[in-house]
Amino acid sequence: MEMGFTSAVYVLAAILFILSLGGLSGQESAKRAIWYGIAGMALAISATLLGPGLGLWWLSLVLISAGGLVGYQLASKVGMTQMPELVAGMHTLVGLAAVFVGFNTHFELVNIAYMDDAVKKTLEGFSALLAKKSSIEINILRVETSLGIWIGAVTFTGSLIAYGKLAGKVTSAATKLPGGHFLNAAAAILSVLSMAWYLNSGELLSMIILMIMALFIGYHLIMGIGGADMPVVVSMLNSYSGWAAAAIGFSLGNDLLIVVGALVGSSGAILSYIMCKAMNRSFVSVILGGFGGSSGPQMEIKGNQVAIDADGVATMLNDSENIVIIPGYGMAVAQAQQSVAELARKLRAQGKNVRFAIHPVAGRLPGHMNVLLAEARVPYDIVMEMDEINNDFPDTDVAIVIGSNDIVNPAAQDDPNSPIAGMPVLECWKAKHVFVSKRGEGTGYSGIENPLFFKENTRMFYGDAKESLEKLMPMID
Amino acid sequence: MKIGALKEISLGEKRVALTPDSAIQLQKLGHDCLVESGSGLAAGFSDEQYKAAGVEISTNAEELTKTSDVIVKVLPPSEAEVKKFSSSKILISFFYPGTNEALLEIAKSKDASVIAMDMVPRISRAQKMDALSSMANISGYRAVIEAGNNFGRFFTGQMTAAGKVPPAKVLVVGAGVAGLAAIGTSTSLGAITYAFDVRPEVAEQVESMGAEFVFLDFADEQTDDGSSGGYAAVSSPEFTNAQLSKFREIAPDIDIVITTALIPNREAPELWTSDMVNSMKPGSVIVDLAAEKGGNCKLTVLDERIVTDNGVIIIGYTDFPSRMAAQASTLYASNIRHMISDLTPEKDGVIVHDMEDDVIRGATVAHNGEITFPPPPPKIQAIAAAPKERIPDKTPEEIRANEIAAFKKQTKNQIILLIIGGALMFLVGSYAPASFMQHFIVFILSIFVGFQVIWNVSHSLHTPLMAATNAISSIIILGAILQISSTSSLVIILASISIFFAGINIFGGFIVTRRMLAMFQKS
Repeated sequence: MEMGFTSAVYVLAAILFILSLGGLSGQESAKRAIWYGIAGMALAISATLLGPGLGLWWLSLVLISAGGLVGYQLASKVGMTQMPELVAGMHTLVGLAAVFVGFNTHFELVNIAYMDDAVKKTLEGFSALLAKKSSIEINILRVETSLGIWIGAVTFTGSLIAYGKLAGKVTSAATKLPGGHFLNAAAAILSVLSMAWYLNSGELLSMIILMIMALFIGYHLIMGIGGADMPVVVSMLNSYSGWAAAAIGFSLGNDLLIVVGALVGSSGAILSYIMCKAMNRSFVSVILGGFGGSSGPQMEIKGNQVAIDADGVATMLNDSENIVIIPGYGMAVAQAQQSVAELARKLRAQGKNVRFAIHPVAGRLPGHMNVLLAEARVPYDIVMEMDEINNDFPDTDVAIVIGSNDIVNPAAQDDPNSPIAGMPVLECWKAKHVFVSKRGEGTGYSGIENPLFFKENTRMFYGDAKESLEKLMPMID
Repeated sequence: MKIGALKEISLGEKRVALTPDSAIQLQKLGHDCLVESGSGLAAGFSDEQYKAAGVEISTNAEELTKTSDVIVKVLPPSEAEVKKFSSSKILISFFYPGTNEALLEIAKSKDASVIAMDMVPRISRAQKMDALSSMANISGYRAVIEAGNNFGRFFTGQMTAAGKVPPAKVLVVGAGVAGLAAIGTSTSLGAITYAFDVRPEVAEQVESMGAEFVFLDFADEQTDDGSSGGYAAVSSPEFTNAQLSKFREIAPDIDIVITTALIPNREAPELWTSDMVNSMKPGSVIVDLAAEKGGNCKLTVLDERIVTDNGVIIIGYTDFPSRMAAQASTLYASNIRHMISDLTPEKDGVIVHDMEDDVIRGATVAHNGEITFPPPPPKIQAIAAAPKERIPDKTPEEIRANEIAAFKKQTKNQIILLIIGGALMFLVGSYAPASFMQHFIVFILSIFVGFQVIWNVSHSLHTPLMAATNAISSIIILGAILQISSTSSLVIILASISIFFAGINIFGGFIVTRRMLAMFQKS
């Protein structure tokens, strides 16, 4: 087929991808948008397979089908609580593919360099494209290729560690090798040096050093980031996988790769930005790990935590009109989303106004809580964002906090010395009563004491979230 | 430790300091419980119920005093009772150490420890053992019931076939615990309820209970800064005058007045003067909860119900909690139980009398042969929060000005970004070859489109967004497909692996996104 045909299909595919992402602005349009994405991908792959001068297309088809089979198995079985792991795991594959494609470009380049002009003319497809390049274009190609390999390698190990942390296979605490960020800085400098070396010599060794450095940076950077910062990390890796694709697109001269890479890259960047803003932290401080230093002693907390049993909670719920439920990562850990949904259903059946309040960084993935609640068949129109619901708390009879901690910490507003000072939080303490379902006393991941638990209108409902709710359920009538 | 509850010996006292329920809780703390036979009868707890809860019944008060380590009671003990105490005994009851000095001396001479439930500091942590509040709550409730009993009309307004019945108008003076309980009861009975307090900041609480707060036309109103421990302080004469004239103005309209105004360690202030009583309609009722301290109305007779010449009924009972002995005992017993729970930090039945603890120190009036009253001020101050500074609402002009400023700032930012971006593009363009620039323009435009599109994605769909972008970032498969036709076998192998991986990703990503999106349902 003609080159022009391929390009035309690419334009169509790019438009379909843009429509697909744009359609995610609403739950209903999203159901259509996903088909645009699938259609775009199908068009792009078929056009490439049918494109000019392509050999071994049957092998590609077989491999895609095999991959598809594996992907189908994975995606159909995965539980919604494991979604963060799955997303991180899939990023590793994109990262690895980018590294391989990058190296292939290098090998092709080396191959062509040894050919004489007569042979070059007989080349087809990708090699033909390379053969036509001038020396300055080859230099640019080398920069693009090494960038693609570097970003791809960082994405690969970074996602691998993120996957391990999210799946509980690697400790979720922030750990660093001795030397901390100096090691990262050294690795980054070495990367730049080997990139410069490659630019001048085209040596394979320089590329391998570059890759090893990038692999190390990905590993070490993500190891140093704690569990609760994972929403930022996963969005960042999402962004990287896009930039890697874009860099490879440049080196292959393929506009569709560039367009899609840029779309994905900017999408991940925006998500990271939203997550950081929701924690009132700068991107750099999240990536470098740990909380920023506080400027003084934290406010002393007065009072004590008052416990309550299921009976008390049930009585209160039966008497309430306006109820807001605030789920957090603890709900996902306890797999309690079904019980929470069941509770909401029962309360709603009595004509009570039950709503869910979701903080942008609740959970380990942007939008994680929404997906869990959707899985448990909670209608999305009662699931509210922070800004939509924060003003309603004073009129709320009961706020139920299930497995969240920092996102409902009043110290963020009251205590300028708190490590999370200034972070936007759900102001649930303004409700008449607050119940906190929590495994026990003690602070959460961040180690920050939460004055909410000590407030006069707060009652602690200790125990595993799922068990507690199941105990509560029969008492609601 | 053995915890023994003595039978109340004062006439008409029906409450009891230990209930079967509280006994079960105390046993969980590792204590044994005893009760004097017949103690709970007047409050509705039979000896059998106690036995069923594992409580030992003692027929003899003397015996019980001897065998128990901790003696719990409601009212202060009589001198005879205290004399039977020996050293190391702990007495927990109301004690009023300020007026019972002689009793305190005897306790001291006996080496016994006395924890006065009326001395529990009013801090958040100690609320669960604040027996005064529990009792005040009951008094407030009962005051309304008692008033209703004496009031010849409905509380709630009704339209009946026989004609219209106007609702009763109730005024509650003093919005402390008792006052708020009275307000709650009165509004739920359907009366139009007004409430007054010298602390204007309680207006919010009053209004939340459905009553109307009576505001005075007085500039320099008092504030509760918490220094008085959440109680009202003495008012200035000007304030008192303003208050009285307001009451005088509304008195003829009010059917029921419930006064609850008390100031710690002072005689109750006179708030409802005889001329106000005279201006009230016949059949109106006044319940004076401050009767014990002389009454907020000077016509009140202690512990009596009187009718004035113009037919106004004034109730001066002081035993409201005892009139609701079952409820009062339940609450008091759980206050006691919380106190003992704080005294048993390890839950192992061993009492640790920790004089460093603010609450225990505050409530202990005699310990180790010494009188420890009055206590030093608690380390933690008061319940009431510092008055919040009101942020003045912005005027429309200010809001408009802010909007304009924000708009200007946004414009400025955008222009600066455009200039910087343009300069960078120019820089790249002047060095890079044309073939690169073609792709570069596509790249920049795509980022721009991406930013415009992604900002509109709903927050709740962020996870599907990630899964979807994940799937489409596998577009890198195109690169591998192009390379697989290479002549080098190494390239073919690497490309094959890439295609396989990307294939997993494409299918996995799209399927999982579809699964997620299908779950989002509207109610």
